[in-house]
Amino acid sequence: MKKSFLIILLILSCGLFMGVKVIVDKIPRSKVPGASIIYLPSGKYLKHATFGYSSLLADLVYIWAIQYYGDHTIAERYDNLDHIFSIIAELDPHYLDPYEVGAIIAVYEARDPYLAFKVLDRGLEKNPDQWIFPYQAGHYAAINLKDYDLARQYYKKTMAIEGAPAIAQRLYADAAFKGTDFQTAWENWEEVYQMTDDERIKKIAENHLYQVKSAMDLAKLKDAIEKYRQINGRFPDNLDQLQSAGFLASIPKDWDGKDYIYDPKTGEADSQLKWWKR
Amino acid sequence: MKIRAIAIITFKEAIRDRILYLLLFFAAVCIIFSRLLVLLTVGDRAKIITDVGLASLSVFGTLMAILIGTGLVYKEIDKRTIYTLLSKPIQRYQFLLGKYLGLLLTLFIMLALMTVIFLVLFLLHKYPIEGSIFIAILFIFVELCLITAVAILFSCFSTPILSTLFSLSFYLIGHVSWGLETLINKMPQGGIKTLARIIYILLPDLENFNFKTEVVHHLPIPPKIFFYSSLYGILYTVFILALAMMVFRRRDFI
Amino acid sequence: MDTVLRIEDLHKSFKTGFIPKGKKILNGISLEVKAGEIFGYLGPNGAGKTTTLKCVLGLIFPDKGNIEIFGQSNLSMQAKEKIGFLPENPYFYDYLSATEFLSFYSDLTLAKKEEKKAKIATLLKLVGLEHVASLQLRKFSRGMLQRIGLAQALINDPSLVFLDEPLGGLDPLGRKEIRDVIVRLKGEGKTVFLSSHILQDIEMICDRVAILVEGHIINQGPLQDLISEKVKVTEITISGMRPEDLRDLGEHYSAQGGRILLKVFEEEKIATILQMIQTKKGKVHSLIPRTETLEDLFVGAVKQK
Repeated sequence: MKKSFLIILLILSCGLFMGVKVIVDKIPRSKVPGASIIYLPSGKYLKHATFGYSSLLADLVYIWAIQYYGDHTIAERYDNLDHIFSIIAELDPHYLDPYEVGAIIAVYEARDPYLAFKVLDRGLEKNPDQWIFPYQAGHYAAINLKDYDLARQYYKKTMAIEGAPAIAQRLYADAAFKGTDFQTAWENWEEVYQMTDDERIKKIAENHLYQVKSAMDLAKLKDAIEKYRQINGRFPDNLDQLQSAGFLASIPKDWDGKDYIYDPKTGEADSQLKWWKR
Repeated sequence: MKIRAIAIITFKEAIRDRILYLLLFFAAVCIIFSRLLVLLTVGDRAKIITDVGLASLSVFGTLMAILIGTGLVYKEIDKRTIYTLLSKPIQRYQFLLGKYLGLLLTLFIMLALMTVIFLVLFLLHKYPIEGSIFIAILFIFVELCLITAVAILFSCFSTPILSTLFSLSFYLIGHVSWGLETLINKMPQGGIKTLARIIYILLPDLENFNFKTEVVHHLPIPPKIFFYSSLYGILYTVFILALAMMVFRRRDFI
Repeated sequence: MDTVLRIEDLHKSFKTGFIPKGKKILNGISLEVKAGEIFGYLGPNGAGKTTTLKCVLGLIFPDKGNIEIFGQSNLSMQAKEKIGFLPENPYFYDYLSATEFLSFYSDLTLAKKEEKKAKIATLLKLVGLEHVASLQLRKFSRGMLQRIGLAQALINDPSLVFLDEPLGGLDPLGRKEIRDVIVRLKGEGKTVFLSSHILQDIEMICDRVAILVEGHIINQGPLQDLISEKVKVTEITISGMRPEDLRDLGEHYSAQGGRILLKVFEEEKIATILQMIQTKKGKVHSLIPRTETLEDLFVGAVKQK
């Protein structure tokens, strides 16, 4: 074959296939490159198939997952979030970023905090020394779900791990309070108050103790006022009447020793100060 | 025709190679094994068997193409059978084309055998066989045409081991080039981006022949793709074969 | 007489080694082969004989030089239709039978389909392999492979046949048979280019020779012209005399088993010696004048280099 013919053939075929490639790229395909990852069996078996390169594979799957979840055209991409991140977890359990990021995607994009909990729970299971996982889970429970009981459980877990920040306990106490478990809240705030040397934190703890005491006291007052009203058909004129009428043994005072204020028209009691303004 | 004579002789020789049957055995094992994998999952069973089956056809077909192809021309040179062949009134390009077509015929038969095993398994389980499966297999064959050409190209100037490595690299690059596209899209505008883009278009994109995901997930395939993907495959193959002829035509056979 | 093969100023070097160092194999070869002759291409191992052949056949490409076959470029298809080639230590597709093998090679030429079968049968008979026509080549002995290789070289009825060491590895009977075939080819009007380092064969059948040493042709021409007719030594085998009687002749002799071998270097002395033997009542068994052999020429030429 003549050399010139071959060279022309070479250049022609090269140019043409490049052109076709550009055309083909533009044709939308409903498939997602690498989507077969979704179809992978459990990561447990995959790990053995990777001949020691499982952590590299974990990286690759993670990178792929980020691109996949960043692609807004794939409507059903959250369906397999747990599965994909579980694969990453099986391949490289100690790779911490994916747990956090997976949870973030679950909460803020998929709007499914329970999905986030699954991911974070797995993170804690595989890395019991990482307080960050239950910590973040606690945040999501408290802020996004407003499930204070769940938040409390997570914060408690966080506190149990060595190296957890002190604030975890405060968050725990706060969640307990919000979950109306005043007893636990009281105990913990007291502990914080006793244990800390930091003036600022002492003040915070004090404020919260004020808050909890007020809440407890006001609940007691409210209960007594209601009883009074049921019996006497009207609200008491002042708080002392509750004591003299026998509904309360003594009238509680707030943390600073001040009285609670009372409005006889509405029958509502309240603390003189707002706890955060002390 | 002289090309035909060489093709038939190549076919007769290739079909004797035991590697083919070893790989066929492993492919059969994989396909049958997928039946067991089904026990581990819940849901659409046909999906697993289809995916494993198509993957086996693709992987083992590629291995066959590479392992046989890289030895094809090299053996002729090494064993000196090529001396008597090229002293006859036959052009070098006819020899090369004949070798290529002979191997292609061999691969076609092997692929058909694997397809039969695959379909038998399907029928035994009374799963419905969709037409799209045959499309996926057809494009697996198109991919094999290209890979065979690559194997022969390397066989013209390199030892079987190196040729195998190069051919495998080609295959791997061809399947991850989409990753390069993602990277390029995130690059800042400029000369490097343009250069990277040109390299990207030049590199083989074997995902064009990959319809496994569509078949397995029952997704629609746009008809335009058939035409353009096939065209891409044919053009790239012509390119590689032309390269091979360029290398081969002035080669000294010491 | 027509020139069927012309080589002009052929140069070829190879780059060998990891760091390419050019090694010059052919340093300006020129030769001519005339129609209908058996041309011997002679040289020690590594001289470049096979390299020359490969250049002629288009298997390797020379750095410089011109090669013509029947007046056309050696690379053209027309030229290739008229030649046949048997390489040294041939190796073929061993799973084919002899007939299939020849059939395949026939398909590569312009031979007509109808004549193919008959041609194969004739060739097998010519090389003495008609009894193994269906036998697979993997079962062939070295000698049989050589012969089927020769058959393949003749499949297209070429006018010019190139044989590279065709008699290597054959037993004496095999060598005689192949030599006879070559001579027969000449009888059919074909030209034979025979490359070898076995001098006896060349000496027996070649018309003209060229001697190649280290990439140069140091001698070329008709065999008879190159070897002088001069008698170098006459060997006389004698019996019935005692070795001591011959001592005063001043010539070499050796005695074994009642016979004495006398080597006489000067031709003029022969008559005198014969007379002396007759006088002494000895018996002459044989008298053989040994002329300069190709071996002498060859060794001398190589030593010169």
